[in-house]
Amino acid sequence: MFGSHKTSRSDPAHAPSPVARKSSGLDQVFSSCPPNEPQSVLDMSGASQANISFITGLGHRLSTDDVIGTMEQCFGADFLAGQQAAAAAQRFLDQTLRFHDDVFDIALVWDALQFLAPPLIDQVIGELLRVVKPGGLMLVFFNADEHASQIPVYNYRIQDQKNLMQVSRGSLQRSQFFPNRMVERLFEKAASLKFFLTRDSLREVIVRR
Amino acid sequence: MWSKKTQDVPAQNPVRPNPAPSASTPAVEPAKRESTPTMSSPARTFEPEISGTRGGAAALGKNVTVKGQIFAREDLTIDGEVEGTVECHEHRLTIGPNARVQAGLKAREIVIHGSIQGNVEAADKIDIKKEAKLVGDIKTSRIVIEDGAYFKGSIDISKSAVPPRPGQAATANQTANSPAAAPAPVAAAAGAQSVTK
Repeated sequence: MFGSHKTSRSDPAHAPSPVARKSSGLDQVFSSCPPNEPQSVLDMSGASQANISFITGLGHRLSTDDVIGTMEQCFGADFLAGQQAAAAAQRFLDQTLRFHDDVFDIALVWDALQFLAPPLIDQVIGELLRVVKPGGLMLVFFNADEHASQIPVYNYRIQDQKNLMQVSRGSLQRSQFFPNRMVERLFEKAASLKFFLTRDSLREVIVRR
Repeated sequence: MWSKKTQDVPAQNPVRPNPAPSASTPAVEPAKRESTPTMSSPARTFEPEISGTRGGAAALGKNVTVKGQIFAREDLTIDGEVEGTVECHEHRLTIGPNARVQAGLKAREIVIHGSIQGNVEAADKIDIKKEAKLVGDIKTSRIVIEDGAYFKGSIDISKSAVPPRPGQAATANQTANSPAAAPAPVAAAAGAQSVTK
């Protein structure tokens, strides 16, 4: 627990400036919350004042689990090679999504899944489906650039219900390109999926358990 | 050195700018001790913030290890290792950058620079600095977290009003429910079009 925590793979001095973007997925997720009913929200980006302020300001309970940070701790510099070591993969699973069943109404998964390779990605999605309540929602992002192997990784800071600020954490090699068909296969046990086409290279998906 | 402190230090007492831990600082009242603390070396680099506090502030230096329960009736700074529980009701608890704490913490206000594994409860405010690492659940009225801080756990914001301490009625409203200090956007947001499966 007290080991060093590397938060970024790029030189902070040369890190790109934060980028604002509209998020229809985020809007729909929070629009679907019943009024005056506090929800239990899981945020899988690094803890931030913006997200805490927004989510607790709506009266919801927030839990955070920085999956990218845990990957950095468990797999070292080369995520994909590190995941193939059984001991490292088990260490990652031991530290990730350690929650009871059916705890969360909303899981903000962001873009973490695309850096996980099989079989770990299936195990993590299984854990997500376990901790999210039936009918609960997950907001998942995938990079839509088919030809890129090294893609940017972000912390997502919620500005308001429709707007995000993307704060760069550098770039990482993703495990593979995720077309819609593959996303559907990954979440085949979910009740429904809803895809959002965006003008940038980030594809948003709402998964209903 | 661990004897019970029976009353708060009078307000007119001079506040020490760098309270070095010493045998004459009877700040901590451990109900149960399982190991003998070792006093810290004088060469500490961390200087706890003590402005705005009432009376003095006790400190556990970076070479101090405590296992058991700590009750403080004054502000307390921990920069060493603690395992057990720490309670500073009505006072401020500061976890220094060298601290390694595996304990449940309760205080009026908690400032975290170091590493904590355990649940944290503050009646007024929790302030998590960028170098902090916290694994555990938080319960508080207000929370401030700096970018770069590592936090894993849940946050419960209790809406109970905490009466302001004398002289602190107009403190900054850096609450979890206030707008976050976010950098200005540098690019126009992209529109989105939804397609339902």
